[in-house]
Amino acid sequence: MDENEARKTIVATLEGKKGKSKFYLKDFYAMFPEEKPRTIKNIVNKMVGEGTLEYWSSGSTTLIGLKGVGKQAGAEHED
Amino acid sequence: MAKHETPMLDQLESGPWPSFVSDIKQEIAHRKANPNNVELQIPADVPEDILGVLELSFKHGRTHWKHGGIVGVFGYGGGVIGRYCDQPEMFPGVAHFHTIRVNQPAGKFYTTEYLRKLCDLWEFRGSGITNMHGSTGDIIFLGTHTKQLEEIFFELTHNLNQDLGGSGSNLRTPADCIGMARCEYACYDTQDLCHTLTNEYQDELHRPAFPYKFKFKFDGCPNCCVASIARSDMSFVGTWRDDIKIDQEAVKAYIGGEIAPNGGAHAGRDWGPFDIQKEVIGLCPTGCMWMEGDKLMIDNRECTRCMHCINVMPRALRIGDDRGLSILVGAKAPILDGAQMGSLLVPFIKAEAPYDEIKEVIEKVWDWWMEEGKNRERLGELIKRQGFQRLLEMTEIEPMPQHVQEPRSNPYIFWKEEEVEGGWERDVNEFRKYHLR
Amino acid sequence: MAFVSSGYDPNEPMKNRITDIGPRHYEEFYPPVIAKNKGKWLYHEILEPGVLVHVAESGDEVYTVRVGGARLMSVTHIREICEIAEKHCGGYVRWTTRNNIEFMVDSKDKVAPLKKDLESRKFDGGSFKFPVGGTGAGITNIVHTQGWIHCHTPATDASGPVKACMDELFADFQSMRMPAQLRVSLACCLNMCGAVHCSDIAILGYHRKPPMLDHEYLDKMCEIPLAIAACPTAAIKPAKIEINGQKLNTVAINNSRCMFCGNCYTMCPALPLSDKEGDGIVIMAGGKVSNRISAPKFSKVVVAFLPNEPPRWPSTTDTIKKIVEAYASGAKKYERLGEWAERIGWERFFERCDLPFTHHLIDDFRDPAYFTWRQTTQFKF
Repeated sequence: MDENEARKTIVATLEGKKGKSKFYLKDFYAMFPEEKPRTIKNIVNKMVGEGTLEYWSSGSTTLIGLKGVGKQAGAEHED
Repeated sequence: MAKHETPMLDQLESGPWPSFVSDIKQEIAHRKANPNNVELQIPADVPEDILGVLELSFKHGRTHWKHGGIVGVFGYGGGVIGRYCDQPEMFPGVAHFHTIRVNQPAGKFYTTEYLRKLCDLWEFRGSGITNMHGSTGDIIFLGTHTKQLEEIFFELTHNLNQDLGGSGSNLRTPADCIGMARCEYACYDTQDLCHTLTNEYQDELHRPAFPYKFKFKFDGCPNCCVASIARSDMSFVGTWRDDIKIDQEAVKAYIGGEIAPNGGAHAGRDWGPFDIQKEVIGLCPTGCMWMEGDKLMIDNRECTRCMHCINVMPRALRIGDDRGLSILVGAKAPILDGAQMGSLLVPFIKAEAPYDEIKEVIEKVWDWWMEEGKNRERLGELIKRQGFQRLLEMTEIEPMPQHVQEPRSNPYIFWKEEEVEGGWERDVNEFRKYHLR
Repeated sequence: MAFVSSGYDPNEPMKNRITDIGPRHYEEFYPPVIAKNKGKWLYHEILEPGVLVHVAESGDEVYTVRVGGARLMSVTHIREICEIAEKHCGGYVRWTTRNNIEFMVDSKDKVAPLKKDLESRKFDGGSFKFPVGGTGAGITNIVHTQGWIHCHTPATDASGPVKACMDELFADFQSMRMPAQLRVSLACCLNMCGAVHCSDIAILGYHRKPPMLDHEYLDKMCEIPLAIAACPTAAIKPAKIEINGQKLNTVAINNSRCMFCGNCYTMCPALPLSDKEGDGIVIMAGGKVSNRISAPKFSKVVVAFLPNEPPRWPSTTDTIKKIVEAYASGAKKYERLGEWAERIGWERFFERCDLPFTHHLIDDFRDPAYFTWRQTTQFKF
């Protein structure tokens, strides 16, 4: 799988979602049913390191979304 | 004059047990005096605000903290827990006040040189209040401002050669018992395995990899002092498979009352003279011990290594020499479908560096869980949902009676087609030749 | 208070960044006598409550003085621990899994001065800084979670009730009169960060009211699909509401399905659930993690609810004392609390502990419930 294509698919899919900005890793796996979860997880984490995506942690679980998107930053006064 | 009146908390200063209120008050006094002229990076009165918020909770019977999910250090999905006070104007010092998890050393031994450096950093850039330690095992830095998070991480990694612990859908900070460092019961080097796996899986510890949290804990023997069997998705419990070593002279000394049973643990009450029949042989869960004259005999093949006899007579009985560990999987606290104790997956595996065989089991379990686990489904719940057989299949471990407490009591075996002679495809017309419609 | 940079550059977060280095290596922190004799220990003995000796094959001995600690600890207090460790223990110290602190020395003559020093130190408020104890068949330190000091979903405080309980149980921290060790743990809500579900006695914070709905702000503060997905019992669904002529998106909660976990509040701050009267404490008993004699066991709910009573939680401490005394007088040597309860029968347990039995104590949650009802004619009157 081409990593850059995967990046584009991830960004496009997340931009297309309405009303929800944070996703579980599973939601990313679902975008690439042919790929191993580990491969996708590594790309997602890399995209966080590149500043495209960001984590949101409930403490017990981690959600992932496009950087700066969503209501959480406002609610937590970290915008 | 205190910044906030704390009449209820003040009542927790009396009594013999160490008072956290008095301790926080001494930190308040220390920060106020600031004898070393530390350029405090968050306000000096932060511990006062901590006490103030807590007093308000004592008054209201409700917490005054809110959760925050965004803050962290760049590129890490764990190690920082965001917290905000819901009364920021009353307590401006702790309006945003995040926790940092610092990965504790295996065994929780420290040099004071290292501890002092940690204290200096945390006084300089944080509240000066900690947990030694958090429930999972980390050193907890309790409360600092958002801007200090990266600064603290930079100083920890550059100056203290020290990394953060885990939170979120990550591998959580592994923890171990004191093990071989100071315990004669330890069947493997818990510190070495804990440290090795912590380092091997740094990526999983710092960046989300899983459907939910995943915990490793390491107990050196079946006494389970770190409770791995109850609270870790993968529990490593030391064991042995040869004979308990017996020192018959020491057995006699116990019988003769020269050595106190159980390492002297029962000295606070007169339980009468030690009775080996009643206290050891009679309590053995498998009944595999007996006396022959003044000699203690053990049918080791029947022993289930519960540790009772060894705990009672540590100078007479010692763990065997063919040592390793058992791996149990799936333990968790009750939420949601009820608590689960770890279930035995690998009865015995050698625990010798570089631990490749153990890593192989871990990675097979992870592959399955990453593929099949639902969001926020712990490993134990996946095992329940898909069945223990599926776990065995995915880890390529042969089923054996050690895997069960008892065999199933229903016959509803979901046979697979390939297990049944001739398969499932049959010719109904052939059947009808002998059985009329 | 000028900002002092660590060297971190916020414009270039990856510059000189060090990651994934893990914890410090444990061998750096071993006292010499430990490093030398690791894996070669022969036996141990508790010389008196809180004082242990471990003897190695080499003949070396290490003496450990164990002291209790509030896990909530200031750096001033840790520095005092360092000062003591430097004075007596060559600059080494360790913590136990149960928040106790262990000072180790390599000869017997160093024990008495160390112990005397530890026992002499008190906080200004009068409590001990370093009470010696926590060994053998006694009650050791309570492991616990954050509570009101720093958690967002607690149903009780942690440090407060722990201090109140340990003050009441203090004599048993410093003695060894119990039939076996007795482990007390506290978790401040049912999510159990501190997995207390296998403790001889567990103190558990519990909410009893479903979340309130801050309709007007809900859609502004949170993403509704995430709040819905957070609920483990699927009790939350999307809803619409009209406030001041304005149609707003919000959620509705099926209150009868709510298990009061607070997971939705974590995702959505517009769903607060804490409540002074609603929140309180559940007491569980009879769990253990050791494989000794009998298999590890879960703790069972023996008191469905006790109110939060800051600052000293008298109903909770009284209940725990009753259980402790009934166990201490009724159990046989080596018998853990859960083993004792099973031997005498739970019907007898409630009688001996003078605890009422209410319908709340009968399991009605999903599959495991059936297995806890009585399927035999064997019971005691």
